[in-house]
Formats: sequence, structure tokens, C-alpha cells
Amino acid sequence: MNCDHLFSPTSNDNTLFVTAQCNNRCIMCCQPPDRRDDIEMRYRRNLSLLENAPKELRELGINGGEPTLLGDRLFQLLEAVHELLPSTGIHLLSNGRAFSDFSYAKKLHSVASENLLLGIPLHSDYSGDHDEVTRIPGSFDETMRGLYHLGEFGIRVELRVLITRYNYRRLRKISDFLYRHLPFVDFVAFMGMEVTGWAVRHMDQLWIDPVDFREYLEDAVLTLSGWGMDCCVYNIPHCLLSESLHPYACQSISDWKTEFSADCDSCRKRKACCGLFRTSRKQSRALAPFLA
Amino acid sequence: MDAGYRLLPFLFRRLGDRELLVNEAGDFLIEPAGTVEQIATHRLEVGSELYKDLAANCFVADNPSPMFLDNYACRIGSRKAFLNDSTTLHIFVLTLRCNQNCTYCQASSRDANASSVFDMKKEELFQAIRLMFQSPAAGVTMEFQGGEPSLVPELLKAAVEYAELLNAEFEKRITYVLCTNCVALTDELLAFCREYDILISTSLDGPEFLHNSNRGKADSYANVLEGIRRARVCLGNDRVSALMTTSELSLQYPEEIVDSYLENGFSGIFIRALNPYGLAVEYANRKSYYERFLVFYQRMLDYILRLNSEGMFFVEEFTALLLRKMLSPFPTGFVDLQSPAGIVNSVIVYNYDGYVYASDESRMLGAIGDNTFRLGHVSESRAKIWAGPHVRRIARLWATEFIAGCADCAYQGYCGADPVRNYSTQGDMYGVRPMSFFCGKHKAVIDHLFSLLIHREQEVMPIFRSWLSGRRS
Repeated sequence: MNCDHLFSPTSNDNTLFVTAQCNNRCIMCCQPPDRRDDIEMRYRRNLSLLENAPKELRELGINGGEPTLLGDRLFQLLEAVHELLPSTGIHLLSNGRAFSDFSYAKKLHSVASENLLLGIPLHSDYSGDHDEVTRIPGSFDETMRGLYHLGEFGIRVELRVLITRYNYRRLRKISDFLYRHLPFVDFVAFMGMEVTGWAVRHMDQLWIDPVDFREYLEDAVLTLSGWGMDCCVYNIPHCLLSESLHPYACQSISDWKTEFSADCDSCRKRKACCGLFRTSRKQSRALAPFLA
Repeated sequence: MDAGYRLLPFLFRRLGDRELLVNEAGDFLIEPAGTVEQIATHRLEVGSELYKDLAANCFVADNPSPMFLDNYACRIGSRKAFLNDSTTLHIFVLTLRCNQNCTYCQASSRDANASSVFDMKKEELFQAIRLMFQSPAAGVTMEFQGGEPSLVPELLKAAVEYAELLNAEFEKRITYVLCTNCVALTDELLAFCREYDILISTSLDGPEFLHNSNRGKADSYANVLEGIRRARVCLGNDRVSALMTTSELSLQYPEEIVDSYLENGFSGIFIRALNPYGLAVEYANRKSYYERFLVFYQRMLDYILRLNSEGMFFVEEFTALLLRKMLSPFPTGFVDLQSPAGIVNSVIVYNYDGYVYASDESRMLGAIGDNTFRLGHVSESRAKIWAGPHVRRIARLWATEFIAGCADCAYQGYCGADPVRNYSTQGDMYGVRPMSFFCGKHKAVIDHLFSLLIHREQEVMPIFRSWLSGRRS
């Protein structure tokens, strides 16, 4: 994501980009990693951004790359956010692997407040499929172990399931898995894909039109929600969802990335809809406005 | 031969043309017959959808990493989390005297006007309460039973006030439950219940003719309903629950019993089979009773499912407890069906005469002169009672994981061990599973629930989920 735009209280996307490095190699990465050591440089820049940030900022994102590659610097950054923006929600995106180290999870706990929410993706209920997506063998076990440690410390987690051709047929099984293995997460977000970055290169392997997984997604969300777990759907416009999922659909796309097609002007659901990724190289074939 | 995967421990059972596979954490899969053999002989194709299902559910693993095993251990540990709390349910038998005359009475009760030697002595009651506070549990339930505890309101008040006094130091969460037939609830007693937030647990056996017949009193139904009404007005609807016991006569009226619960404003029922204790042992031919009970259970559950399909929210609580074990990753606090057993680990009984028993059923054996499960006296130390010779002997046999007929049963994780029941019905604590009605009943009930999941999944799962989550779907 773009690190250079200035913080704005009216934007839904104010983000500290903390590193371009990552320890996963996800085939659909929209922000392909870089190997250069950028941590100190970005840390200093982010601290000065924070000092000038408006206090009324509702939410602040922290992402990369993989923010836990900052090591203990991450906790110093979090403490700075708490100090300078005590009432701002912090949304930290991580693959969670670093928290498989109990002492690292414990350190996060010592600086975490109720304001902190970790967004952690899980690509499958089967470790082999997850590792195929991240292209790091063993990453599933580490992410799962990390999630258990975070659960033990009561740290709030948004579990993210990005829907691709790899996993859409197993969405219902993923729901069953999440209820049995991770019932302690705060909520589960089922996410449509943005075809940009590496996803463009792997489009044939990855892309599945939301209209083609409509029923799978409906089954997964209603099942998990039926178990009493909170669910939401990100990045999929209303017209591609079953009617029963409309209450779960969020306006999840960053405002600076959102666009609507010309047809959307006549749609009566437009106000509630997340719209489309302006940045995505692929859009659904089935966009259709709800006419009054 | 080795196709690159490892087996993790699991149990299995044939269900019609399917195989049920259950892992150590209670997760299950229902697969075509022959699947188990395919897994065990390493003929499974790694990467197939079946393989993914089995790996995701911890039946097989490519290469079980220490991290995977630690997570799995957490899952198993949380199923047994009821053990972390030690004994949470403390039952106080305040008196043996009772004002009803139930045909199936399990409690060897005495006439309401009998001598006060059948009431608990205050000093012994206080000793029992002090023992309760030694339990490491952060939350305890004090359940007052009888006989009919409302016949001794002064003892009930003394118990609650003493517990409150001591709790200023111990700071436990205390839940009070008064088990009463609701016939003799005075305004004063209800006001006391309201002051201390005491829950009322009562019994209602069904429609008027049936309830009165079971109670051996012509006016019981009217009195109980009037008591329930007054308790609800004073304490709130959600503070009054009812249990139903299935007498031989009840077996013919499953739908009528549910209807009577609906008419009387309940949103659920707890189906309970007769226990083979106390007077109930005199019922002829237990075998025929249990066979007929299973037919009754299925009919009643079917009727309840139909009501739910039509949009009503009405729970069968016994089924919901089993489903929670089968479908959820959480522990259940159901002391009758636990491994290690609920006795001592989760429940203890302080009898009216000052003796401490392993369970309600244990003191009923005591009442007919058999003290096998009498663990000690309230005047003794916690160590002597909870870890004395009686408990040590029972503890060797109180887990399904290590007794024959349970250790290899697919329902091991859903069922429970009951050395007291084995002893009272079969003469020894170990018991013989194929001859056990306890085993037969639970196997049949769980079989039935799995057959519903297999044949009527679309219809029953939304209902079952709503029962477990409390969310209407």
C-alpha cells in the first residue's frame, strides 16, 4: 500500500508501511516483497508520521511486508502509537508466524491494548494447500501455533480467508475447521481477491469469479455464523453475493482504491456496497445493478 | 507401502454403509465403508480431497511437527478443561423429609411430618460449607436437595448466609440452586431466593394425569404449576427450570409431555430416564424399560425437531448436551457423562447425616446400607475425603480411556464412566459393557443422533446449531 499519502481523519485507510520484506512468498501477493533492509529507515519515517498524525484518527493500519520482521522494533512502534494516539484503533496485518514463538507473543501481549486487532490470513484447513499458497513449507503450522498463542493471551484476531481457485470448493470445510480449531478468534473475514502484484502473474491458477463461488461462500458464512462466530465478507460487491449474505458484506476497500462501474450509478445498493478495486486487473463478468 | 503419511490415534464405528471416525479431540468424519482400512494400510492418495479432510481433522499427518502436536494437545486439553476447576457442584441434602410420594423416588425420602433426625445438623452443614470453600474452583454451585429442602427453610437460609459470610474471604463465584417440587414455596422463601439470586430447579413430568400419577398425589400438578407461576413472578422466567423423569407410564406419552411443557411456558425439556436406584429398582424388567425408553426418546426428539422446523425454539437438553460433545470443541459440565467421571472430580454430596458421598446415586446406595461410595464425614479433612482410600479405589476405574469396552469405543469421547452405576447394577465397579444398560442406552442415543446427521443433515443441523449457540438461524 502507498506509504506517502498523508494521514486524514476522513479516510478509511491510514497506514504505516513498516517494511517491504516478508518471510512468506504468497503467490497472490498484492505488494510483492523486497529483500532490501528498509526497517530502520521506515521506522524513523513512521515515527515522524505518527508525531504529526491527527489525534482523532479512528483507525491506523500497520502493514508491509511482514511487520513482525521488525522484531522488538514493532513493540516500540506500538508503544509510540499508544502514547501518541491513545484512542486510535490499530489494525496490524501479519501472517502470524512469528507468534509461534511464545516469548514473542508474550511481548506483544505486554504492549497490546484493546485497541489492537491483528489481521491474520489462513488459506486453507489443510496445511499442504496453505503452504502451497505461501510457498513456505511449514508456514501453516507456524501460523496456527501463533494463533493459539495469541488466543492464550486474549489478543484480538481477525481471521482472514482470501478466496481463490485453490480453496473455494473447501470454504464450508474451512468454516467447520475454524469453529473447531479457532473458536476464540474475534471474527472471520471472507475476502474477495484484488488482482494486482504477483496475482497478475498467477491469475490462471488463482482467479475464480465471485459469481462462481457464490453458493460455497453462502454455505460457509451461514454455517460459521450459525455456530455463533462473527463473520463478514470483504471486497465482494452486493450483486455477486447471495441475498442472505448482504448483511455480512462490508465496505472494506480503501477509499483511494475504490471505484464503481458506470452501471453502478443506477444501483439502489450502491451506498452499502464495497464497490470494486480500481487497482484490480480482473473484474467479475456478472456485475449487475439492483434496479429500483 | 508407506505412502508418506502418518496415522494419528482415532477410533471408528460402522454406521450402516458408512464409517464414523472420531479423533482424540472428538472431531468426527463420516466416510464410506472401507475408508479406515484404506487409511491404515497406507493406500490413501496424498493430496486427494479425502486425504485433505483427514489431515485437516487430525486423523493423519504428512509429518506431524511439534507445533502441530502442541496445538492438537491444546484441543484435547480444552475438551478436558472441566478438570481444571476441581469439584464445582456441591450438593447439600438438607433433609430426607418430603411432602410428595413419587412412584420412582430415588432419594429414600421420609414423610413430611417425620422426625427432625432426618434433617441436616447445622454444625455439620457449616462443616460441609467449609469443605466446599477448600475446593480450588473459582466458581462453585451450591445445590440444595432433599427430600424437599423447602421444608427446612431455616437451614437453607443459614447455609446461604454462612456461605456469603465465608465468601467475603474466598471470593468465589457462587451459584445457588434450590431443587424443589415447588409445592411448599412460601412468599418469605421466594423473597429470600430473590435476595440471593437463587435458581429454582423443579420437576414436571407432563400433563396433569401423568404428573399426578407419578407423584402419588391427586393435587400435585395444580400445586406445582401454581408454585412455578409464583416463582417466575418473583424471580423471573429464566430463573426457573424443570426436569422431567420418564416413568413407565410416561413412555406412552412423548408428544403430550412436550405439549405440557409448551403450554406451561418452557422453551426446553430435559428427558431423563429412570435411575436404577432407591425405589426405582423395584420396577420389573429393566431391560424392557430401557428398550421402550429408546423408542420414547426417538419419538419425542422427532416431535421436538418438527416443532423447531416449524419455527419454534424448543430445546431437548439431554440431546443438546450430547451434541455439544459431538459438534463443538468445548468441554461440557454434564457430570453424568464425563471422563474422568463426574463423581468427586466435579460433584460431591453432603448427606443429611453428615456423611460425604461421591454422588447422588452413591448416597442412595448408602440408604440401603451399602457404604462403598461413602467417602468420609464432613468433620474430616479435604485430603482424607478427596484423596482417601475410597477415592483411590474408584479412580482406577473412572475413565472411559482405560476400561474395557470403552477404551476402544468410537463414542469414548462423548460418553462417560460411571463406576457407581456399574456397581449398583452389575455388582462391581468395573462393569461389563455389553450387559450394561447405561452403555446400551448411550450407544443407541448417540447412534440415533449420528443417523440424523447422516440422513437428515440439511433439516437438523440448523436446529442443532441454534441449540448450541442460542442463535436462531
